[in-house]
Amino acid sequence: MSNSDKSQYKIQYISTSGVYKTPFTLVIIFQLFFGGIILVVINLWFINQLYFLLTGDQIFTLGLTAEWYYWLLLPLNLYGNLFLFAFSIILFSVIINKILNKVSPPREGVFERGTKEWKYTHRRFWNAYFPIWLARALPIPWSDIFVYRFFGVSIGKNVVAYEGYIDPELIEIGDFTMTSLNICIFSHLIYHDHIIIKKIRIGEACVVGPQTIISPGTVMRDGAVLGANSYTWIGQELEGNLIHVGTPVSTSFPVQSLEESQEKVERIKKKHIENEKGDVK
Amino acid sequence: MFQPASLKGDSPTPIDERIRNKYLIIYLIIIILSFVPCSLFEYIYVQFLWDKGLFFLFFLFLPFNLLFLIYILQLSAILFSVLFLTIIKLLFPPMEGIFSRDINDKNYLFWNLRNVAKKWPLFISASNPFPWLKNRFILRFFGVKIGKKGICDSCWISSEFVNIGRNVIIGMGSTLLSFGIEQDKFILKKIQVEDNVLIGAKCVLLPGTIMKNDSKLSAHSYTNFNDILKENSIYSGHPAKLKEV
Repeated sequence: MSNSDKSQYKIQYISTSGVYKTPFTLVIIFQLFFGGIILVVINLWFINQLYFLLTGDQIFTLGLTAEWYYWLLLPLNLYGNLFLFAFSIILFSVIINKILNKVSPPREGVFERGTKEWKYTHRRFWNAYFPIWLARALPIPWSDIFVYRFFGVSIGKNVVAYEGYIDPELIEIGDFTMTSLNICIFSHLIYHDHIIIKKIRIGEACVVGPQTIISPGTVMRDGAVLGANSYTWIGQELEGNLIHVGTPVSTSFPVQSLEESQEKVERIKKKHIENEKGDVK
Repeated sequence: MFQPASLKGDSPTPIDERIRNKYLIIYLIIIILSFVPCSLFEYIYVQFLWDKGLFFLFFLFLPFNLLFLIYILQLSAILFSVLFLTIIKLLFPPMEGIFSRDINDKNYLFWNLRNVAKKWPLFISASNPFPWLKNRFILRFFGVKIGKKGICDSCWISSEFVNIGRNVIIGMGSTLLSFGIEQDKFILKKIQVEDNVLIGAKCVLLPGTIMKNDSKLSAHSYTNFNDILKENSIYSGHPAKLKEV
């Protein structure tokens, strides 16, 4: 059975993770500018080389010489610009993240509106927002796992994490875990005028079903399964190798093989038919 | 807020296929018209830089030029769709009520036409890195009232008959539906969300819901038609029931 530790955080309902639009949101424009400058510098160099190949003259002289095989790079250049832009922005925002972490490292607890922790969770969030958005907009959406790792979220091998909302801090996900469509993993939660921050631990080979919410402080043991359309309470512990369902999670039952569950269905059908016969008599 | 593909969609405005096929020309005209300012901008850019021999500046500003084009396209799409929307609203003003779901019914027909006019700007703004652009900026042009100091960036909001007050938090993947389809009936009713309301993640508000000041809706619950949530109270469940005052 699942145990819930309600003594530390007495709350009546699960709400949502909320991040307001603050002046720090303008960091997106700085990131765009930085990515744009790197893009321009590398493209200017490349176009200059092609111009040299065409005319034997350079737009601006750098003392470099181009070879014929530079033409082969032209299609790569057109598509590679996307990746160049994304990865330069990821690098830049990781540097900002390191500075923010030095000023105020992420801490667990309950904080009021307007405190240092409230401000810095917002800042770290808006800093991480654009690189993760970009990674998911690329044709290889699973590259967002690398971005999460850069931001301090420890994600194991063979994890599916790109089909839902995941907070960029205080989360641990083990190997071979799968998350489904439209999930929300919140390590911070808005409650009236307070913000609750607690670390989430998801073990190895877990399955997080579609349309679920994982609240702060949830611990999923190895092999635990969270059923579709359910959510966990704050600080709830889900036992391993069991299926958990409910809003919030209240019932849990063992994982059955296909034959076992078919037998169970047939048994229920038989019972139903016998009951109907009894009613007729 | 860094949404997956499944959360990035435009707001829930289904269009009747029979009406969409009949009035496809409106959709095409809005798309073509919204590209006109883009080509004008590009013409000026080339004339000022390339034709005067400023190749260095031309290449320097090229990436910013491409980025700028996307935003010009989005803004002009809003402009022309609002233009068509006002014409459609003048022909037949939008009304609340229960109507029959039939293309001969004028209310149903014009509701679909309004959705046809709104589709293009909502579609191109869905894939935008600035999350507040779609739910604040564009919906305000369509007549949705959204107060200041709130959070409503990663949820679906119907593009008409919605009133949202100040300092309202709406959670991830929540849906505010001001229309409903029930068998052969079609319902349009206003949703009112007053000040300081908190709506949890993955909630659904059905048409006619009124949330009074400081009321809270727990995560993963939905409200019924014409529900009124009291002041300073907490609601949860499917459908939402009063939990504690």
